[in-house]
Amino acid sequence: MAYAELQVASAFSFLRGASSPEELAATASVLGLSAIGITDLNSVAGVVRMWDAAKEVGIRLMVGARLSFRDDTPDLLCYPQDRSAWGRLTRLLTVGKSRVPHGDTSEAAKVTNRCFLYYDDLLEQGAGQILLAVVPDRLDDGFRANLQRLRADFRGRAFLAVNRRYRGDDVRRLRAMAELPLPMVATNDVLYHLPDRRQLQDVMTCIRLGCRIDQAGLALQPNAERHLKSPQEMERLFSAYPEAVLLTQDIVERCKFSLAELAYEYPDEPIPPGLTPDEHLANLTWQGAAARYPDGIPPQVRDTIEKELRIIAQLNYARYFLTVYDIVRYAEEEKILCQGRGSAANSAVCYCLRITAVDPAQISLLFERFVSTERREPPDIDVDFEHERREEVIQYIYKRYGRERAGIAATVIHYRPKRAIREVGKVMGLSEDATAVLSAQSWHAGEGLWSDDSVKEIGLDPASFTVRRSIELARQLVGLPRHLSQHVGGFVLTRGRLDETVPIGRAAMDKRTFIEWDKDDIDTLGIMKVDVLALGMLTCIRKAFALLGINNLAEVPTEDSAVYDMLCRGDSIGVFQVESRAQINMLPRLKPRVFYDLVIEVAIVRPGPIQGDMVHPYLRRRQGLEKTELPSPTPERGEADELKRVLDRTRGVPLFQEQAMQIAIVAAKFTPEEANQLRRSMATFRNAGTIHRFFEKMVSGMVARGYTQDFAERCFHQIEGFGTYGFPESHAASFALLVYVSAWLKCHHPAAFACALLNSQPMGFYAPAQIVRDAREHGVEVRQIDVSASKWDCTLEDGALRLGFRLITGFSQAWAEPLVKTRCTSFADLVRTGLPQDALVMLADADAMRSLKLDRRAALWQVRGLSNMTDLPLFATEPMVIHHASLPIMTKGEHVVTDYQTAGLSLKAHPMRFLRALFSAEGVLSCAQAAAQVDGTRLSVAGVVLVRQRPGNGNVVFCTIEDETGIANVVVWASLMERFRRAIMGSSLLKVTGRLQRSPEGIIHVIAERLDDRSGLMGRITEEPSSRTPSRPSRPRHPRQERIFPRSRDFH
Amino acid sequence: MWLPHWPITRLSRNTPVSPDRPLVTVETIRGVRHLVAVGEVGEAHGLSRGQTLTAARAVCPALVPVDADPVADEAALGRLVAWCERYTPMVAPEPPDGLWLDITGCTAVFPSEGELVRDLRKRLERNRVSCRIAVAGTPGASWALARASLPPSSANVPIDGDGWLKDGYDEGAGVLTDLPIACLRLEAGVVAGLRRLGLRTVRDLLRIPRAQITARFGAMPLLRLDQALGEVEEAIDWPRPPLEWHERLAFPEPIGTAEDLARALARLSERLCSRLGEQGKGGQRFVARFFRVDDVAPEVGVSTALPVRDPAYLTKLLCEKLNMVDPGFGIEVIALEVESVAPMGVTQTQLMAAPDTSDELAGVVDMLSNRLGADRVSRVVPFASHVPERSLRRAPPLPVKQPSWVSDPASPRPIRLLHRPEEINVIAPVPDDPPIRFSWRGVAHRVRAAAGPERIAAEWWRGRRSRGRPETDLIRDYYRVEDSDGARFWIFRAGLHGEERTPRWYLHGLFG
Repeated sequence: MAYAELQVASAFSFLRGASSPEELAATASVLGLSAIGITDLNSVAGVVRMWDAAKEVGIRLMVGARLSFRDDTPDLLCYPQDRSAWGRLTRLLTVGKSRVPHGDTSEAAKVTNRCFLYYDDLLEQGAGQILLAVVPDRLDDGFRANLQRLRADFRGRAFLAVNRRYRGDDVRRLRAMAELPLPMVATNDVLYHLPDRRQLQDVMTCIRLGCRIDQAGLALQPNAERHLKSPQEMERLFSAYPEAVLLTQDIVERCKFSLAELAYEYPDEPIPPGLTPDEHLANLTWQGAAARYPDGIPPQVRDTIEKELRIIAQLNYARYFLTVYDIVRYAEEEKILCQGRGSAANSAVCYCLRITAVDPAQISLLFERFVSTERREPPDIDVDFEHERREEVIQYIYKRYGRERAGIAATVIHYRPKRAIREVGKVMGLSEDATAVLSAQSWHAGEGLWSDDSVKEIGLDPASFTVRRSIELARQLVGLPRHLSQHVGGFVLTRGRLDETVPIGRAAMDKRTFIEWDKDDIDTLGIMKVDVLALGMLTCIRKAFALLGINNLAEVPTEDSAVYDMLCRGDSIGVFQVESRAQINMLPRLKPRVFYDLVIEVAIVRPGPIQGDMVHPYLRRRQGLEKTELPSPTPERGEADELKRVLDRTRGVPLFQEQAMQIAIVAAKFTPEEANQLRRSMATFRNAGTIHRFFEKMVSGMVARGYTQDFAERCFHQIEGFGTYGFPESHAASFALLVYVSAWLKCHHPAAFACALLNSQPMGFYAPAQIVRDAREHGVEVRQIDVSASKWDCTLEDGALRLGFRLITGFSQAWAEPLVKTRCTSFADLVRTGLPQDALVMLADADAMRSLKLDRRAALWQVRGLSNMTDLPLFATEPMVIHHASLPIMTKGEHVVTDYQTAGLSLKAHPMRFLRALFSAEGVLSCAQAAAQVDGTRLSVAGVVLVRQRPGNGNVVFCTIEDETGIANVVVWASLMERFRRAIMGSSLLKVTGRLQRSPEGIIHVIAERLDDRSGLMGRITEEPSSRTPSRPSRPRHPRQERIFPRSRDFH
Repeated sequence: MWLPHWPITRLSRNTPVSPDRPLVTVETIRGVRHLVAVGEVGEAHGLSRGQTLTAARAVCPALVPVDADPVADEAALGRLVAWCERYTPMVAPEPPDGLWLDITGCTAVFPSEGELVRDLRKRLERNRVSCRIAVAGTPGASWALARASLPPSSANVPIDGDGWLKDGYDEGAGVLTDLPIACLRLEAGVVAGLRRLGLRTVRDLLRIPRAQITARFGAMPLLRLDQALGEVEEAIDWPRPPLEWHERLAFPEPIGTAEDLARALARLSERLCSRLGEQGKGGQRFVARFFRVDDVAPEVGVSTALPVRDPAYLTKLLCEKLNMVDPGFGIEVIALEVESVAPMGVTQTQLMAAPDTSDELAGVVDMLSNRLGADRVSRVVPFASHVPERSLRRAPPLPVKQPSWVSDPASPRPIRLLHRPEEINVIAPVPDDPPIRFSWRGVAHRVRAAAGPERIAAEWWRGRRSRGRPETDLIRDYYRVEDSDGARFWIFRAGLHGEERTPRWYLHGLFG
């Protein structure tokens, strides 16, 4: 007897269903079910993945949802019969989701999966739906009445989903259900694919309820019966009611709808009458091209454009390009800086439409990577906008397309090992510190994850029942979806109503709406997406442009050799992407001279090439120390230069993501589809087994064709690294342009650049103190914050940089306005602005009243004295002389420390200056002196810790310290870690003794041998005993006065 | 008295901190976990209050974070207050980490204030309670002195090796003026504001005209200063009034046996009752407090319906509660006090404290508990578990809350559940039909009607606990069956057919 399971909660019924769609589809197929349904709680989030999985194993999928209502309507399994019914189901869910107020954490919101539905909604959208009522625990009159109503309202389309519950009353219950007014359909109310999953399901229940497993009691299922069962078993269980099993087939036949019918249509863009979208796109492109190339379009660009337009027309993508063009055009009108990134940079059309900014004539990029006739995947254009103004673009899109036609894609948050073990451990009653150490072990991949050895290492007994079971369950949990979140900016736009394709929900952020499907789902269905992303550097560049009167990226002169000279020196603080320590070190070695070098620079200091050990070979070849050689297969297996096309641009070393994929295709003979699967399986933490299979396949494939084992393995590891952190070439090119532009600004307009950087904080790698310092070292005059000259933002005053109020910690932007309006010339003016005392204290504390002839302490005394003055205007006309002679004079050291405490930087001096005599006496060199020593000198330096970095494998800690003469880079090898951990990780003032290492390019490091925490000296600067002074304990938050320096930026 | 690492002290008294694994308490502020208390071991590892847990882990990966529990800290402080009453009845907590002791006139027991402080310190240190004690003429001065740290160079202040003020040093503006302003018990914001103006020590503060300080920082700084100097009286809220009806007994060697304790209680009762008799009074609420060698002071109380001053009866009432007192490593002092005193005529009236007739059950329970032992009288209460024998628990007999037995009509439970399921012989069709007949305790039963199965799986998270009882780990299918005589049984099959082990049958309960 054939049977289809129609009541299935997948793991997308979050923390209810315990099996992934893939597992459910595969098991259903093995058991020989004729079809399997998916009915997640008020959601269709898992249907696309299930559909994909069902296609793979060749089983018919019935897409539906389990509707749970706010009124007394029983839960209903809803299966749309056709495309239009599907649209009604998604609209129904959209309506339900829109009713849940933002931030509602009530029980009602939880049990309905944030979707409030009522029976009337169903009546409205019920046409074409097949409904199966879920029987509640008790068959009371209310339920009977509801069934009568369903029978009347959905004649012939309403059924009763009945199952054996193994609660002891199945026989009687079935008999009673057979009396009910709707025909019975057998189901098994599935929560997992195999009975073994009961344990994980129990744990999920506990996570959902926030309780420990031994406290969950009756909230757990009494047995493990909620798994998929074979037709034979169902036949046996329903031997008294065979028609209930048979009826499943009727329903399968009646629901013809398949997700394949969700044909996607691009939104219509306004097109001048008489033109087709293709013609309109061509016109715009040629107009753009003429503007981009005022001296005439180069013939080869002309050819490319023609070819691209042909392919676009062939694939009918014109409206997609027009859509993106419209968004970019809006941004341009609003003077919001934007730039396309990712594979779109491969397109000359995108360049002409001003979607991307990298000139295709400058680099040879392949349009096929972006759009290809073979891969029938829609193109994917990602555009970065200024981070402060992206929201405007997003709201424009909503306004233009309407909320029914635009939504942000979801991101499925999957359980990662860390979270899995933490939550499982909590449920299983592991102690908090045991879970903490286990979760700290979560970076091992695959089989190594919480292996017995690593568990022993952290002092736990892997044989203990609770530990072992927690680990087993956490492993099962890893990779299952946890909840939906919104994608960073992926917009889905449709021609018709989007809510008739997929339910739209409210996002956590007000005014955003997002759909239930993620990027992969959208790809599977061939739906268009535009990524509207945020990039801080664009904000900074625009702010600098505004100061300089530049309109867009294209106005910046290209290939300026002064810019490259600066970068070759490693002088790149503040420059996009290349300001990190690793990049600063790389620049003098790579010596970028042309734009494409920057593309490589951006891509090379990434986990992919580093893990694949590709960096050094590339550098050696570039420096001419090694010949560029292309690995090749044995002659009979393939052409010797088969990799030339792939690797020629990068001297035979794969640096870009797509090069690694290409190697898999060309050298290991993967199909493009396999290569794509490989990339995807790397990107997620799932399928540890699959990764191993790919490893075997790729390495053995390459070795069999004559490549060396070593090369093959390195290529693979590189793909591993690329999985999450790799850059494709086109993407690197887009970023490289921003590198160039920001470097150009820094090189030629250092004041404006520093000003824009400060006004775009927080962003980038460095704190304001370093940005200001760097600017001063480049000859920029920096003026301090002052009530009579500063604005909220930092500004330029005749070429000098005036710091703004925004640097004062805790100062509010609203307070700046009256100050700017009044431009005080006296303390009385200042009082008259009506600013609250808090604001005045902050200004005084920041020493911002010097122009009023008040130094910090005098100003503070005045401001504090205001508290009891009620009659301010009267007071303000009186001459202001209040005696404060008994206050001690503030030393310069105190001033500097207070500057740091209030504004994060001081223009008066570097704090280390006050300790210099002390350090000199100890024989400690300044950073500048240290840099002048010869390679191998043993020396000591000391300074304030700016940055600590501990790259993934933990073998080394990089640390940057700063003194009044400059910075020193410190390398601490792991062997020293234990002995000096406290000094390395904990100190704010660090003394390092070690050996100077100087690379051939002149890069200087101190290889630490000994580290001393000298933070205790900080108190000396203010000549205050830095002692254990008591205070009334308050919440453990540092009042801003207590910490002297801004926290170092640590990257553990 | 200042307890600088009180939360850590509290936590590590039960679990000693290994010097490699500092215990710290943490609190979550806006999603980020911060250290609250660090302790000496933690400080030695470079941890500090206010650090984020992530940063702290980077400095010291072995640290053991525990959630901060201010309520428990304060409760523990309260217990310490009770224990300190061995020195003086005037003890008050100064949350979160301090104690006030008024030792005025307490030198009757100790030869000097210094001796008292030394004794207190010794006992606390023995119990791994780190503390700093200062004796001064005003609470404010003692607070400041206990918490102050001074550079060793400071003039005319006796300093011990750690740079702390020596215990027992007396007050006086001369010392106070050298102390930092933070010693004045001011809010962190006020302290920081004063320091920003360059006012670091009390001396700096004294130099400024008072009105100007008050205008800028409110009344608090000067009030605290005046209190410390004794210019203004400071009232401390002592938690209990000094007791007139109070007797204590100290032992040269700590005692611990029930007999010793009973004897001591008898002597105390004797003394107290004779004093009560002298004044024609009786007590209605008595509390005996047992000061242990460690700083714990368990107490027991007895109440009577009518005033009492019969020492034998009082001793008997108290001794009945002795089993609630854990003597630990020994008890050094016992104190007995009357909390409620009432006039009582010379005529002896009804001696027995009549049980409260409004709650007869309580009387019965008291009687049964007294006879059988408190742990042998219990009530069965429901417990949330699917597994029948685990679905009930023993609970204290009182207080009676409405029992919440909710029986699911779909899966009824028998009136009588056997303590251990008994194996039975069964004839039943496979795989999961109800049995046709079975025999139990040698008697055969023919099944006339049956319902089931109700399938109950084992509680997998409890691990294998069978100990020779395999049925506890297996899936069970329960059936309600009625035999030809109309008797109803609850039987189950342990295990499923088709599995490795052949399923066996058991009888687990009887209906009606």
